[in-house]
Amino acid sequence: MNDRHILTTENLSLSYGGFRAVDKVNLRVKRRTVHSVIGPNGAGKTSLFHCLTGGRRPTGGRILFKGEEITDRPAHARAASGMARSFQITSLFQNLTVRENLRLASQGRDGNGALVFWRSVNARKEHVEFADSIMERLGMVRKAAVAAGDLSHGHQRLLEVGMALCGKPELLLLDEPTAGMGVNDIPMMTDLIADLGKEYSVMLIEHNMGIVMAVSDTITVMSRGGVLVEGKPEEVRADPRVREAYLGEVA
Amino acid sequence: MNATGEPRPVLKSPGHSGRRRDAFVSLCSGLPGGPTAVVAALLVLMPVVLPSRTMATEILIFAMATLACNLLLGYGGLLSFGQAIFFGSGAYLSSLVMMHGGFGLLPALLTAAVAGAILAALVGALAIRRTGIYFVMMTLAFNQTAYFIAYTLSDWTGGDNGLLDVPRPPLTLFGVTLADLSDATAYYVFTAVLFFLIFIAVRKVIASPFGSTLIAVRENEARAGALGYDTRNFKITAFALSGAVTAPAGALYAMLLNFAPLENIQLSMSENIVIMTVIGGTGSLLGSLLGAGSWVIISDILAEIWPRWLILTGGALILIVLYLPGGLWGGVESLMRRFRGGGTPHAPDGIPNNDGSTAQPME
Repeated sequence: MNDRHILTTENLSLSYGGFRAVDKVNLRVKRRTVHSVIGPNGAGKTSLFHCLTGGRRPTGGRILFKGEEITDRPAHARAASGMARSFQITSLFQNLTVRENLRLASQGRDGNGALVFWRSVNARKEHVEFADSIMERLGMVRKAAVAAGDLSHGHQRLLEVGMALCGKPELLLLDEPTAGMGVNDIPMMTDLIADLGKEYSVMLIEHNMGIVMAVSDTITVMSRGGVLVEGKPEEVRADPRVREAYLGEVA
Repeated sequence: MNATGEPRPVLKSPGHSGRRRDAFVSLCSGLPGGPTAVVAALLVLMPVVLPSRTMATEILIFAMATLACNLLLGYGGLLSFGQAIFFGSGAYLSSLVMMHGGFGLLPALLTAAVAGAILAALVGALAIRRTGIYFVMMTLAFNQTAYFIAYTLSDWTGGDNGLLDVPRPPLTLFGVTLADLSDATAYYVFTAVLFFLIFIAVRKVIASPFGSTLIAVRENEARAGALGYDTRNFKITAFALSGAVTAPAGALYAMLLNFAPLENIQLSMSENIVIMTVIGGTGSLLGSLLGAGSWVIISDILAEIWPRWLILTGGALILIVLYLPGGLWGGVESLMRRFRGGGTPHAPDGIPNNDGSTAQPME
């Protein structure tokens, strides 16, 4: 196992009946890089993502995380081993405050240790402190006591990524972090992701080509369940097959 | 941050999203001493105001069962129609160990608590394999099974006739007799002290890492799982705690009546416990006391007026669900809010208040 790669898939496949949503995909995500997966609608990006996060059990192939096979591990066990994800459709604790959302996310590292019912939450101060540090990083300190459901959509998307960060993950899986974001909010997300790539390994599924080209170290282009092209942003941009798949969208 | 610099989880106020079941905002945190002081005051007042000590004791016993149901429903989002399994088993088991095992009062209650926890963990572990309506149906099916088992084992449970001659032993500790509980007032005081301790304990549970995670599981289970929580374990633990409180309540009920009727383990008992939880207000611990109290009192009054009183309680339930979606406690809260002119920051019942500098009421 090559130590430079944090996440590897070998012939990963997912079929729904006869339809191959993910077809023998081989991915290698290098440590401390931003690796993006793009592709036209229906290319299998989200299905691939579900396999990686444990939402779906692959019908073939293997997933290796830090050299260990995790193909059949449930979602919470993947989180515990250092993999965190964000959700494409914002998935927060809507009725809880921003700080409580992040505190819960940080406390998630305790796993079953959080089953203690005889102690106060204040006994584990480090989670509150970590939540506060993430809040600072997101620039959301002033929103600490606001319910997540009352945030603007842009801020909800940021909090979504912040929740994933609270797990102190080694690999961050981001599913369309800019989905539904206004044009004005996108730069703050782009900056955040580029910044995250220095500390974490980031795997990004994204529709917005501007962001992908700006932040990625490696881009994998998917089409019809398989890998079409993989390379640096400029290589991918120049590749005629990619242009064809997108019907000129890239140019 | 509050005054001591300790951050607390704050939940937002209801009404905003129309999901009034989240009406767990408690203005009581703003009262001197908070909910605990309010409960202490009520425990002193109840035997004075109510027509009988027995009724006051009955209210507290059902309030315990309601608290336990509320932990599942109000905080865990788990609607269990199996609470009578634990209530009834607690009644039978404690009675049997007292009658045949020579157990004293506290060991019998402890036996009920442990057995209730184990039983509830088992029922919970199986029922949570399904979610939503199927989960509810599973708890219902378990209740029916438990009922028929109790009915069949009539050598032990008395079957249809119920278990007769349940004793009410004196309160002893290490062989020293502390109090004779045969008097209704003495038994009320004992039950009240126990209720008070359980109330404080449940409040602590809700403000613990476990409690906060349970709320997270209710709010968004998929996200809780993605954060690293094995949500099944949290649900099973919630069941176990619920059983550990419900079963001793059943035991106390058998000692109150000197009798453990088959009704204790019937589905209708589960329904009653759920109804008390809902009319009191889910997600509010004070609401549980209010729910149990009003249900017992209303039933008692109506039963004297008309033999078909259940029809009227049904009507009362419909009115409460229609016009007080936050339960009675939700109604009390909105009255208090109106009284104060609104705008008061609040934290959920069971969790100390935050300074709420930016917690905005959503009305």
